Amino acid sequence: MDAGEPLGGTTTGTDVITENVVVAKRPWNVVVWNDPVTPMSVVVVIFKRIFGYSDNKATQLMMTVHHEGRAIVWSGQRDRAQVYCVKLQVAGLQSTIEQDE
Amino acid sequence: MVGRHRMFVRRRDGRVEVRLNDLGRAVAREAFGHVVAAQQDPDHEWHVTLSAPIDPSSDQDDPLATLTRQNETSNNAELAVMTLNEQFLNDAEAWAWLSTLQVALRATAVANGLLSDEKLAACDPELMNFVRTLQSFLFELAECL
Repeated sequence: MDAGEPLGGTTTGTDVITENVVVAKRPWNVVVWNDPVTPMSVVVVIFKRIFGYSDNKATQLMMTVHHEGRAIVWSGQRDRAQVYCVKLQVAGLQSTIEQDE
Repeated sequence: MVGRHRMFVRRRDGRVEVRLNDLGRAVAREAFGHVVAAQQDPDHEWHVTLSAPIDPSSDQDDPLATLTRQNETSNNAELAVMTLNEQFLNDAEAWAWLSTLQVALRATAVANGLLSDEKLAACDPELMNFVRTLQSFLFELAECL
């Protein structure tokens, strides 16, 4: 197998082999930040619409944003994280991406 | 029991009925118009919100991503403007209204430094009225989507 060839993608990162050492790439997180003006129900609707999350999951994430100031709402490949972040920004939420620590 | 007057109602055919009066539509027109203008004018006070960083750890965001954001935000705002006087909105139009109103709400908050509950509570009454009106629109639209 060639060095660097993916062993199979997952939504949380891609493992690669370099000289027989497996290196797990760190996933990218989509983060949504709290603000004092956005109605909670709007955040839930946006999460459901963009990610297809259930009402329960969307509500849980919204509450995390509300209480902790931010929440990781999706993790995975950088390109997809960037697309989701843009969709959230277009919907009016404050969102950024960051690589998992 | 007296029911409250609803501004947006989901019909059985899936459309959203807009029951805003002239004053309500004027507020929506102002919000939509500012979003369209802010996309085109880098000096507009809302522009900074519309060009927020995607990856703060990077010196520059992916130009394709920022262009996509600009196009999609503009498309939503222009669709909202075009349907401003409609009585019924389809799902895409209602989503464009919600997205553009939410962009307007956040841009208003950022431009006026309303970044905490305390700052929001202390802002001038006219600004507070604008914010509360946008919030009430959004709250009801969210119930329809």
